[in-house]
Amino acid sequence: MSYFAGTIARGCVLLLLLSSSACSIYSAPASKPAPVSKPPVVAPAPVPQPPVTRPPDSPSTKAWQPLVDKARQATARGDYEQALAVLERAQRIDPDSAEIYLEMARTHQARGDSAQARVTAERGMLYCSGRSQCDALRAFIR
Amino acid sequence: MFRTSHLLLKLFLTALVAGGLFLIYLDAKITSTFIDKMWEIPAKVYARPLELFAGARVGAEELAYELEVLGYRKVTATRGPGQVARNRDRFEIYTRGFDFPGERESARRVLVELSGGKVSRISAGSKTLDLMRLDPVQIGGIYPSHGEDRVLVKLEDVPQTLRNGLLAVEDHRFYEHMGFSFTGIARAAFSNLRSGQVVAGGSTITQQLVKNYYLTPERTFVRKITEVLMAVLLELHYDKDQILESYINEIYLGQDGPRAVHGFALAARHYFDTPLDQLNLSQQALLIGMIKGPSLYNPVRNPERARERRDVVLAEMSKREVISPEHAKIATAMPLGLNSQRSIRDSFPAYLELVRRQLRLEYRDEDLTTLGLSIFTAFDPLLQRQAERSTTTVMEQLNPKGELESAMVVTRFDSGEVAALVGGRRVRYAGFNRALDARRPAGSLLKPAVYLTALERPRQYTLATPVQDTPVKVSGPGGQEWEPSNFDHKVHGDVLLYSALANSYNLATARLGMDLGLDAVVDMLHRLGIEGYIPEVPALTLGAGEYSPMDITAMYQTIAAGGFRMPLRSIRDIVDANGSPLKRYPLEYERTVSLQAMHLLHFALRAVVREGTGRGVYRYLPADFEVAGKTGTTNDGRDSWFAGFSGDLLAVTWLGRDDNGVTGLTGSTGALKVWAHFMAQASHRSLGYRMPDGIQTQWIDDQSGYLTGKGCPNARMLPFITGSEPRQSTNCSARQTGIKDWFQSLFGREH
Repeated sequence: MSYFAGTIARGCVLLLLLSSSACSIYSAPASKPAPVSKPPVVAPAPVPQPPVTRPPDSPSTKAWQPLVDKARQATARGDYEQALAVLERAQRIDPDSAEIYLEMARTHQARGDSAQARVTAERGMLYCSGRSQCDALRAFIR
Repeated sequence: MFRTSHLLLKLFLTALVAGGLFLIYLDAKITSTFIDKMWEIPAKVYARPLELFAGARVGAEELAYELEVLGYRKVTATRGPGQVARNRDRFEIYTRGFDFPGERESARRVLVELSGGKVSRISAGSKTLDLMRLDPVQIGGIYPSHGEDRVLVKLEDVPQTLRNGLLAVEDHRFYEHMGFSFTGIARAAFSNLRSGQVVAGGSTITQQLVKNYYLTPERTFVRKITEVLMAVLLELHYDKDQILESYINEIYLGQDGPRAVHGFALAARHYFDTPLDQLNLSQQALLIGMIKGPSLYNPVRNPERARERRDVVLAEMSKREVISPEHAKIATAMPLGLNSQRSIRDSFPAYLELVRRQLRLEYRDEDLTTLGLSIFTAFDPLLQRQAERSTTTVMEQLNPKGELESAMVVTRFDSGEVAALVGGRRVRYAGFNRALDARRPAGSLLKPAVYLTALERPRQYTLATPVQDTPVKVSGPGGQEWEPSNFDHKVHGDVLLYSALANSYNLATARLGMDLGLDAVVDMLHRLGIEGYIPEVPALTLGAGEYSPMDITAMYQTIAAGGFRMPLRSIRDIVDANGSPLKRYPLEYERTVSLQAMHLLHFALRAVVREGTGRGVYRYLPADFEVAGKTGTTNDGRDSWFAGFSGDLLAVTWLGRDDNGVTGLTGSTGALKVWAHFMAQASHRSLGYRMPDGIQTQWIDDQSGYLTGKGCPNARMLPFITGSEPRQSTNCSARQTGIKDWFQSLFGREH
């Protein structure tokens, strides 16, 4: 049900595509844009893509890393409930961390709940940065 | 003569049989209920524990408040659990430790250093700590109707001096008698005779226990006999230590509002905020003294009488050689040592009601009041305090007279947890919980569902699609005609879709809703999380129906979370009396709306606060703090709503009158102010801008909705679902411009 997610494999790109059109403000026509009904002759200037950066006030250090480690241990011994409980605690500490979503998705997958794995990964995609992280989450959605 | 004695014999035998049956009945009563009764413990409800780590957003004043409501004692240097020594932004905390579900956080001394409203470092000795949590505040209990609350203690954990002191004062022959004492009864009978009425009991500890457990408080001869019989039976079935332990846990030691304080362990916490095993002699004697008259010798209400009684107890303890005369002398010189901390227990009736309702879906009242469950909730005392402050402050400005009511729900939308709840303007009052039970039309708060329905059809609708804000007339059932008008009674002609929502145009929304089909709008509202009845009538597009603030929160929770629905949770875990996890309420997502359409809706809801009806929020918030939201006003301003979210919190606020009278307020002039006042203080995270896959931005002429060039007249950037961009364009080509609107400035401040 992901409407377009599958069709466009565009990662959450950190890079900001700066407008490359260097037209001078003086060369522009006067301000009477007559609407035209034909398809655009001139493509609009490339628009910037949003930066996916962590908000400046999110925890800089990974205070939750020990929790993720603990969750992994719990998963390894098959205690998925405990793993998810610990990961939820981690998520409360840092709700913007795609890494925690990824770990949650993995845990749901491990206990055989692929629907919850998928939707958790999908939500995590809202927070991912970097191709490898986004791709890892995307893998649950396909 | 023979006949008389025969009759007497018959009477005697009948009495004997009746007495025997009575004894059997009493015996059955005791053996069947005594052990069970010992374990009747109300459920305890806890707030979320405060998580501390480097970078955590906690101000010094907030940490101090949290520690205060936890009852940490302020000292100059910490020497034991439950103490804090503060030096400006440095908190030396000796934590109490706590058994969390599945994990123990042990008691330890830590140094928490804050700087700029954040934790900068946590250390224990020379070691830096990554993460720790304080014990959670107990915010209430689920008490039975008689209000009894207690904390159980085992006899071996009761200090020896307390135990012996109790026996010295109440029943010094406890370990010798058979449940009652002839001398005690004789002494009582004598004084009763002298005064001509029943004034003294002469009860042993066993008798007192029986009286508290099974009998009514009136003083009659029959009751006294029953008491003695039951005491003897109890002694036959159970050993002395079991009886004493029950007594120590059962004894009534005063009232705290509707809550009855039972047992020494709870009394120690209640009066001294100290665990039983850490009470000093003076405190122990005070509690022992209270047995004689919990109300008369209540140290909070009658400190002088309580002190005198304590000194009597200390003297008796010394006389019976429980303590030395020296110790008695020192204890007599001590102050009462009462708990001076303010308690926040049972002061959040609105939130507790939410917890109770969630519990009642799965537990019987009886289980909740007797099984000694621990309920761990998401309640955040710091957010609650701010929600109450914002409510009180703004309501005082808007309506000093006080007939205007309010409600507020705050969630952390990433997890769907309800963190704070205000059920009415008088926040401490139980009673009508408007957050849960006020059912009102939602006004324009439902409009986002109409626009979302449209945006899920990208071939037909985009943010740049012109919609007609022109008069509309719909015939409803029974030949009724519905003819809405705009708030300003104007007609705005063709407006772009996002702008129609940002400005909350009624005509455009009604038209759009009718074009989409009311069934589609109803379906969208259900998908967003509204569970009750939704009337499928044209006026639905403008908010018809009855919705509680909680219903609206469910809807906006899904919107804030980006199209992921999750149950609104107040409870995280339930743990049984032995500390074993019983139930966890897990985080579960369900995606019910197109991510891309939701992304576009977010844009429009940001436009509401940047250029539409919600602009007033920036009188409270810093200009660069991103939020999204929607105002709502119902007919004649009977209800004033605001729902919106930042990067970490969702809040829904409602103002109105209980009699549904006119308030003269709109969403912007009423509820918005409470919301913005709250967010400005409570939210720590600006709403981030994250484009999901399948979204592109384009420059659009915001008059025509055509593609245009950057820097062209009326040019503004809008997001589109890829492939749905307008096909028509202006003939203006891009040019350099230094002017950026709020949306562009989201795109990196690197420019």
